[in-house]
Amino acid sequence: MSMIAVEEVSFGYSREQRVLHDVSFAIRSGVNVGLVGESGSGKSTILKLLLGLARPSAGKIRFNGEALEPGDRAFMRRYRRAVQAVFQDPYSSLDPRQKVEGIVAEPLRALGIPGPHRPAIEAALHDVGLPMDSISRYPHEFSGGQRQRIAIARAIVARPQLILADEAVSALDLSTRIRIVELLRALSKTMAILFVSHDLGVVASLCEEIIILERGRIVESGKTADILAHPQHPYTQKLLASVPRMPV
Amino acid sequence: MTLLAIDGLTLSIGDQALVRDLSLSIAGGERLGLIGESGSGKSLTALAAIGLLPPDIRAEGSILLDGRQVIGAREEDLLPLRGAAVATVFQEPLTALDPLMKVGRQVAEPLARRYRREGKKLDRKALAREVRDLLERVSLPDIDRIVNAYPYEISGGQRQRIAIAMALACRPKLLIADEPTTALDVTTQAEILDLLSDLVRENGMALLFISHDLPVVARVAEKVAVLRRGEVVEQGPVTSVFGAPAHEYTRTLVSAAAAFDKALEPAQ
Amino acid sequence: MTVLAEQQEDSARRTRRSLTLSIGLLLVGLHLAVALLTLVWIPYDPTGMTGGRLEAPSWAHWAGTDRLGRDLFTQIMIGSRIALIVGAGAVAIAAAIGVTLGVLAAFATRYLDDALAATFDILIAFPTLLLAMLVVAATGTASLLSAILALGIAISAIVARLTRILAKRVLAMDYITAARTAGSSWPSIVFRHLLPNIWPTLSVNFALQFGLAVIAEASLSYLGLGAPPPNASWGRLLQEAQGTVYTAPFGAVAPGLALVSLVIGMNLLADGLRDIGDPTRRRSR
Repeated sequence: MSMIAVEEVSFGYSREQRVLHDVSFAIRSGVNVGLVGESGSGKSTILKLLLGLARPSAGKIRFNGEALEPGDRAFMRRYRRAVQAVFQDPYSSLDPRQKVEGIVAEPLRALGIPGPHRPAIEAALHDVGLPMDSISRYPHEFSGGQRQRIAIARAIVARPQLILADEAVSALDLSTRIRIVELLRALSKTMAILFVSHDLGVVASLCEEIIILERGRIVESGKTADILAHPQHPYTQKLLASVPRMPV
Repeated sequence: MTLLAIDGLTLSIGDQALVRDLSLSIAGGERLGLIGESGSGKSLTALAAIGLLPPDIRAEGSILLDGRQVIGAREEDLLPLRGAAVATVFQEPLTALDPLMKVGRQVAEPLARRYRREGKKLDRKALAREVRDLLERVSLPDIDRIVNAYPYEISGGQRQRIAIAMALACRPKLLIADEPTTALDVTTQAEILDLLSDLVRENGMALLFISHDLPVVARVAEKVAVLRRGEVVEQGPVTSVFGAPAHEYTRTLVSAAAAFDKALEPAQ
Repeated sequence: MTVLAEQQEDSARRTRRSLTLSIGLLLVGLHLAVALLTLVWIPYDPTGMTGGRLEAPSWAHWAGTDRLGRDLFTQIMIGSRIALIVGAGAVAIAAAIGVTLGVLAAFATRYLDDALAATFDILIAFPTLLLAMLVVAATGTASLLSAILALGIAISAIVARLTRILAKRVLAMDYITAARTAGSSWPSIVFRHLLPNIWPTLSVNFALQFGLAVIAEASLSYLGLGAPPPNASWGRLLQEAQGTVYTAPFGAVAPGLALVSLVIGMNLLADGLRDIGDPTRRRSR
């Protein structure tokens, strides 16, 4: 059974302003999925729905068979424990007034996981490759790449089954980007990642499956290798052709 | 003929050097990519080249733009260079355009300035025609609508085309493009890059293309300079720098870019 | 690219800030010390005739005497106490009402938010004087309390509007979304993320409003809407000195100086406060 099942989900404030149309896909545990689309594709909306920050206008999202119900506190607690997120901008996703310890501890505290939290925080920092003395420092003392590591530590500290990564490496420099992708790949041995991005190269190097979105519709989905080898939809072909490559 | 010759440029603030002993040159019609990550000093170098450095930054060395010394020059001596010798396209097309002015008028401004500079007079009808010509050259669709639109009413890619049209209106010998596609979607980026290369070639303009993205630079430039923490670590033709990087840092960047490329190759 | 430039500017500004902060603290501290002193000791009985009428400043009467022969310096000292009580009371009321309503508006649905925002704007447009008269009418007499209440309500609208704007900006940040997806409840988001992040700007505003409240109370007292004697504020001293301002100008100058020094002190303190409590500005690099 899939961990997350998105079933014929539509979203829009009115029928005329639909930004998602009958989207269905599944995330199985241990399999990284890339959600690829450009601005206006609806990928941010899907993420919002998966984060429980909005409800689908039609259709259902299921977690281990249970319908995602943002109002059900007991369910949401279980869901949040299993599903955490990493955001695009490492500068605005960390509270500037909290020390790293407080930032990373947030899910433990919020989910009511009994303490002491310190060992879990240290383990998370270790996993993302940050020195232990970072624990008592503020976000502004770190570089963009290190900040993203802090954000990842926060996402994994409660040992979730799925991480929703929203353009999590797009704001980083190339040399930093490849290291964060490697970190995510290493982490995905124990959890699945839904990687939402416009960057096909990053998605392809991280995800076994790909979903291509265009204007609120899935135009193509399947195994990454298959889609790269034989892109069927014209939009997928255009997207692939648009990626700038190194000269050979 | 050398259009932009930067020699031993050092930019510093207080006692801290932001750019150290940087030298590079661009000949007429040549396309140079300046590669650097955040904080490398690449944008600062571009600002220095057009004499728009923030006042608290001290510049030493020499920058010859179209044969004239930029460092230490008075503002009124630099004004005629901007537009005639050099025009710039920036990263964020939304903030580069005046939000309260219709797109057509914004393009008309540099155009009218150029005609004044050349001592020609242009009536309103001719000016409007020239504006439409320019918009056609940057491949904008639906020109009737766009001429009368405000910047927020058009897409990001269209705004960047407008910014390019404004730069073209100056007919500069050198175009400086600072991360012009970073804020755009992949498919839009590809279109803008193609457009830029075509226009630069057609008009015989030189191009200084600033970016952190190696494959993007490879798509438009023939020469590259790699900047790291204010120092040029390597420069040369794209094929040799990317094909056989000599410096450790360049190797890191090239292998990172190659890794993402490789991921896109269908598995054998 | 201009990070370094900003840092340089920062350090220059910090030196300036610490100077303004010191002067501000000094002025406000002086008033605070005097105010505390009046609780245990004052030079003269503020209501007794302790000298000649309208005496000029002398060693015996540092600020001279008023037209009933009362010592002015004693009254000014008591005025410090009144001013600080009014400022602190008004700001405390304004903070309690304003921050609560502002945060509520920032969280509210669109219609409630619009309604609250409109209410703040109307309240801000409402003259403080009229509000004070209404409060006096409602409480029966003009007293220190009615002045504090009126000023507190008037300022709370300003605080609410500012809080709403600041809170909306913070609520749009990714770290709020991150907190929500981490499972944090709304109260925990308010106390852990929202308030700490709007506090620096708010506290600066509180200090500014403190100074404005002191001036406003002086105007209310001047018009007879403030505290009655013997707890007279500087505003009442100014009013009493008005009739004799040509023959005995010191009667107006002395309370005027006291008022100005406290307000300037509060404003400098506000300016200096901006950097404190903001970890991103405390860096020593």
